[in-house]
Amino acid sequence: MRMTLRALAALLGYPSSDLLAHVREIGDAVAAERALPRAARRCLEPLLERLASGDLLDLQAEYSDLFDRSRALSLHLFEHVHGDSKERGQAMLDLGQRYLDQGFLLESKELPDFVPVFLEFASCLEPREAREMLRQPLHVFAALAERLDQRSSPYAGVFHAVVALAGARPDAATLDELRKKAPAEDASRLDDEWEEKPITFTRPAHEMGGPTGVAARVRATVKARAASREDANGDGGRS
Amino acid sequence: MSHFLDRLTYFRRDQSKFADGHGITTGESREWEDAYRKRWAADKIVRSTHGVNCTGSCSWKIYVKGGIVTWETQQTDYPRTRPDLPNHEPRGCPRGASYSWYLYSGTRIKYPLVRARLIRHWREARATMSPVAAWRSIVQDQAKRADWVKRRGRGGFVRAGWDEVNEIIAASNAYTIKEYGPDRVVGFSPIPAMSMVSYAAGSRYLSLLGGVLLSFYDWYCDLPPSSPQTWGEQTDVPESADWYNAGFLLVWGSNVPMTRAPDAHFYAEVRYRGAKSVVIAPDYNEAAKFSDMWLHPKQGTDAALALALGHVVLREFHLERQVPYFANYTRQYSDFPLLVTLVEQDGRLVPDRLLRAADLEGALGETNNPDWKAVGLDEISGELVAPLGSSGFRWGEQGKWNLEEKDGKGREVRLRLTLKDAHDAILPVAFPYFGGAAPHDFVATAHDQVLMRNLPVKEVPLADGRRVMVATVFDLFCANYGLDRGFGGENVATDYNQDLPFTPAWAEKVTGVPRQAIIQVAREFAANAEATNGRSMVILGAGLNHWYHMDMSYRGIISLLVMCGCIGQSGGGWSHYVGQEKLRPATGWLPLAFALDWSRPARQMNGTSFFYAHTDQWRYETLKPQEVLSPLAPPGNWSGAMIDYNVRAERMGWLPSAPQLQANPLDVGREIAASGRNPGEVVAERLKDGTLKMACHDPDNAQNWPRNMFFWRSNVLGASGKGHEYFLKHFVGSLHGVVGTDEGADIDRPQEVVWHEDAPVGKLDLMVNIDFRMSTTSVYSDIVLPTATWYEKHDLNTSDMHPFIHPLTAAVDPAWEARSDWDIFRGLAKTFSDIAPEVLGTEKDIVLSPILHDTPAELAQPYEPKDWGRGECDPVPGRTMPSVAIVERDYPQVYARFTSLGPALEKLGNGAKGITWNTEHEVDLLGKLNGAVLGGPTAGRPKINTDIDACETILMLAPETNGEVAVKAWNALSKTTGRSHHHLADGKEEEKIRFRDVVAQPRKIISSPIWSGLESETVCYNAGYTNVHELIPWRTLSGRQQLYQDHHWMRAFGEGFATWRPPIDTRSVAQALGKLPNGNKEILLNFLTPHQKWGIHSTYTENLIMLTLNRGGPAVWISEDDARAAGIVDNDWVEVFNINGALTARAIVSQRIMPGSMIMYHAQEKLVNTVGSEITGQRGGIHNSVTRINMKPTHMIGGYAHLAYGFNYYGTVGANRDEFIILRKMSEVNWFDKAADDAVPVEGIPTTPRVSQEAAE
Repeated sequence: MRMTLRALAALLGYPSSDLLAHVREIGDAVAAERALPRAARRCLEPLLERLASGDLLDLQAEYSDLFDRSRALSLHLFEHVHGDSKERGQAMLDLGQRYLDQGFLLESKELPDFVPVFLEFASCLEPREAREMLRQPLHVFAALAERLDQRSSPYAGVFHAVVALAGARPDAATLDELRKKAPAEDASRLDDEWEEKPITFTRPAHEMGGPTGVAARVRATVKARAASREDANGDGGRS
Repeated sequence: MSHFLDRLTYFRRDQSKFADGHGITTGESREWEDAYRKRWAADKIVRSTHGVNCTGSCSWKIYVKGGIVTWETQQTDYPRTRPDLPNHEPRGCPRGASYSWYLYSGTRIKYPLVRARLIRHWREARATMSPVAAWRSIVQDQAKRADWVKRRGRGGFVRAGWDEVNEIIAASNAYTIKEYGPDRVVGFSPIPAMSMVSYAAGSRYLSLLGGVLLSFYDWYCDLPPSSPQTWGEQTDVPESADWYNAGFLLVWGSNVPMTRAPDAHFYAEVRYRGAKSVVIAPDYNEAAKFSDMWLHPKQGTDAALALALGHVVLREFHLERQVPYFANYTRQYSDFPLLVTLVEQDGRLVPDRLLRAADLEGALGETNNPDWKAVGLDEISGELVAPLGSSGFRWGEQGKWNLEEKDGKGREVRLRLTLKDAHDAILPVAFPYFGGAAPHDFVATAHDQVLMRNLPVKEVPLADGRRVMVATVFDLFCANYGLDRGFGGENVATDYNQDLPFTPAWAEKVTGVPRQAIIQVAREFAANAEATNGRSMVILGAGLNHWYHMDMSYRGIISLLVMCGCIGQSGGGWSHYVGQEKLRPATGWLPLAFALDWSRPARQMNGTSFFYAHTDQWRYETLKPQEVLSPLAPPGNWSGAMIDYNVRAERMGWLPSAPQLQANPLDVGREIAASGRNPGEVVAERLKDGTLKMACHDPDNAQNWPRNMFFWRSNVLGASGKGHEYFLKHFVGSLHGVVGTDEGADIDRPQEVVWHEDAPVGKLDLMVNIDFRMSTTSVYSDIVLPTATWYEKHDLNTSDMHPFIHPLTAAVDPAWEARSDWDIFRGLAKTFSDIAPEVLGTEKDIVLSPILHDTPAELAQPYEPKDWGRGECDPVPGRTMPSVAIVERDYPQVYARFTSLGPALEKLGNGAKGITWNTEHEVDLLGKLNGAVLGGPTAGRPKINTDIDACETILMLAPETNGEVAVKAWNALSKTTGRSHHHLADGKEEEKIRFRDVVAQPRKIISSPIWSGLESETVCYNAGYTNVHELIPWRTLSGRQQLYQDHHWMRAFGEGFATWRPPIDTRSVAQALGKLPNGNKEILLNFLTPHQKWGIHSTYTENLIMLTLNRGGPAVWISEDDARAAGIVDNDWVEVFNINGALTARAIVSQRIMPGSMIMYHAQEKLVNTVGSEITGQRGGIHNSVTRINMKPTHMIGGYAHLAYGFNYYGTVGANRDEFIILRKMSEVNWFDKAADDAVPVEGIPTTPRVSQEAAE
């Protein structure tokens, strides 16, 4: 599993002459380790072939067009999980901390949630831990596999392989949610995506998912408790 | 039980209630608070700001956690100023607060990007060739060159390493310099004040090469030419805190609460203090909500309103009753009392130029520059006198350039404002009137195009024996305003209700503003100024300044301020806040930025004329100069197309040129150096005999194309590029959406410029953009370099909105492969120096410069200008043509020079605006502070290695940040004025601001003579303050505020005085209307592009946080009436087009918009949610797709004191408010999800060739 994860991380990196020179080696390593079921291994073949036969500059241009310029195919995990919300920064820090806790310093200029970084880290864990790690954003991997399939991109194979390695099914509900909020290829859906729920003033703010959710919930609890105490004193409502 | 024992001695019971039962103590877990603690915890907080296009200059706290920028909040540690003035803080707005999004967003450019087709050819060639040879081989191979040029704008980028991209760029630069000349390497970057070191990095590199820097302030049309015209000053305005000192605020065509959010609190606060506010805007904008009274003239008719306001003020405060303060102010500080000669032309008397001492017998005893000394009539002696302060006193003599009421002999004088009681005759004088015809739905009035008005004149004998009639500016001024003063005759009004220019009744017809409102505002404005000695202020902006005839509305307003004595008074004055640009430590920055420490002069070019010529918009010009010519133009040859006028201006040394010669200036320089002759003489001789030509005569000649283009800190193709589609077609060579052609009855072929039947497509060999985001300009570039964001670099930032200087500091290192602009250009300099020896060594470069303002040369052409190109005179460098200098370029030493301070500062001194001081001490100190270069060709020179070194250089050299220099500067000025200004810097000698000081807290700058306001314990910064209070003249011909523009071309184009000029007809809709039907109704609207709430120009417009706060993509605002007429409902997709191109957007239907106009906020790019155009068959364009440059001859004037060139000071401007468009609902919305190659174009206008696919493969 270790070598397979390393291989997937490498394949998902920006194509370099170094990578191209080692495509065969990568294929062999994946085959030898047998961590992937045959179907998943077959899925990788188109990419391996493309990398083995393609022109470096063409491959690089394809990679850039595919991953650098669209939100839907972003290789940064939290783009899909947190989007542009404020939680993203903290999540990135927590993930970085996780790497540190295991004794790994992020040396490159990449962010912690870059998929190849994530896969490489997983490759350094015990298989059980690695699987657990992969399962957390499994719906993201599954969605990326689907989206790349729709574009008939050979890169889809990498994500199919990751899903297979995790040895679990992505949670249908979260995957479905991700599908729904996919940065729309269909631009006419853009408005729906960004439409916010109307605010009603009779419901507590946290129920509407407002940014003051925590504070509102606390206030509601305190209020409720105070009310019950007043009731216990028996003079509720008259003071 | 014992009460004693009931009591606890050592314990206290935990009480659940406190504060009389208002508080309770509970024991529940408070873990939830950790969420907040974590949320707001940071490893460090760093001070920075937003460093390019927003001039807000707000200090921010940047929070960093785990090496990642998490968010930003406003800083609140601005130093307090003084009692009774509200604090400056907090400054900032939602745009700035969303900036950290960019750092890690998908649109961030993470690696150097190169067009794959370019790098493929490069690598192939480079495998066997040296760098310059490799570039030569691929760029000279037309097929290879076309391979990448035609791909521009259509993807295909790959990542590359810094070493490789630097080598490509450097090789291209070296090849271009060798093959064509250094002036074919061009750079554009705007508003240096906001991150001056980042600007200086690129401009220093280019200046060391001999490359060209393009100006931006005029190109953006943010430069108000009326300011240099009136004051000889680019722009100088009160800081926003000074609004708080006003008693009456007129907010005119400026939307301060929305576009200047951090300053708006002063506007809110002064109203609580009792100030009255009137807002003038055609739409119900945010400022209107603050107003006590909202006037909404038809858009573009503001000059008419200003003139009517002036009419009332003159009538009630100068004529019926003479307010002593107003009379004294205008006598001493304006040109009102100066005499103007009147000449007979076609049997009519026409105002000519200012009378000069040289015209009179013995030149009034003035031997130094008598041609440049204006004349008035002294009330005390009854004689003609040349009062102090004229530009003639500024140069060639010392101690007399001031505004004391004396003449050159030291006699006290009191100039007559009017000849009413000292005239020889009352005669009718002719004034032009342009309001008789108006395009589209603008109102034309039934008045003659020449209006005769009676006024008192005096006959004066001249030195040559002739006798000439003269009148005072004030008498002419009142006549121009159509005021009846009892001199009889026609075209003057006694009553506000008369329909005569420029009465309130007349203005009501033109503007739609009720006359009562006009009268009331005028009275209150002037009454407040009278009661407070000038505390009436006008805040004005792009809503006025972006019209073709912006000078008329601006000068109408300036006149109002001057006649009420408001300029230079606390709480009063002219507050122009558009692209405001105050690089406060300018004299520290200039040598750094233009490498003036190594060689002078630098090559600087006015952006508008450059882009007009090189994007070939001149080929499509439909505005003929003759259309804007005055019916009273002096006799002469006024024929020719607009570009002919620009060529004449370049030839006469008025405007700069780029490229300059139709020859490599290094070849010319080598020959001249070898001959040992005077370079000016040789160039003049060869220009005259035709063996050398100026490049401006043939901009389409391949020899004269700009070849290498650097854009940084800017987005020309996505924001400022007026005539966007012409840029794409001719300059970039990409797919484009130009709808019209360069043939037709509307278009005159030029006389002076070579016409090529086939216009060039794709002039640039290499286009480099430096940005942190994938802007439209990035998309079209060949190489995109990832720059540090504003939270990842060290730099300095100043504004004219407040008096503080503060830094950008690197909160984190640049992410991914990004580098700061300083590091990018330093790296490029290094690579260039390494590879240059392949083709370049030490070279002699011939540099042409226009006649510059604020130098003795500005006194070049005192009377009617002569054009050597038409054989009217001989070419004389610096007098009748550009000056010529030979500059040594040491190409292999570019890097060594880039990173050290050169010796020219000790040799030539430092300074600006005509003031020079010795700066040896500062250079010495800097060498000790930054360290000196240890070895090599620049050994011993102060180091400028890092961006912080560069900041220290600026801070050390500038009087605003180094008190010792301030003292020197004031003393230098004292010599010229003959008055002691030393007290203004008293006690500041020891004050020296260093980079780490401003990192700790924003610092207030030190008052310096480079600026006309003071920063003191008693006043806010207010422009013109030292002119009025220190009697330092304005830097104009007369040294006074000039309300009369007497230059030959000014009179020719009817703008001697402010008058009413309707918008021009750009002729961009008639040819396209109904020609490309889609079945929906088409309506015509005036296209307005004001500044927006959700972005600063194009920045932030693709920021998802900002997108969620608005429509989330391109949108245009239209009125309910127009929407109904065109069958459009809110949120419909609409197409906006004319012969220039097309754009697509959603319609916002709103009551706030005036029918007949449409607003598209500046600047919306085609990057986000833009659908395909039914007209061009490509993705809808940007707001500039429907615009084209419209230049004005009066902005080309030079060689004439205040009307002389200066970079970003004077020149043609990119006006675009007069544009009309066709609007219609779209019938088919095509998102163009496929790649551009697959997109199927629709048919263009029948009878014109297929327009949009010429550049396609």
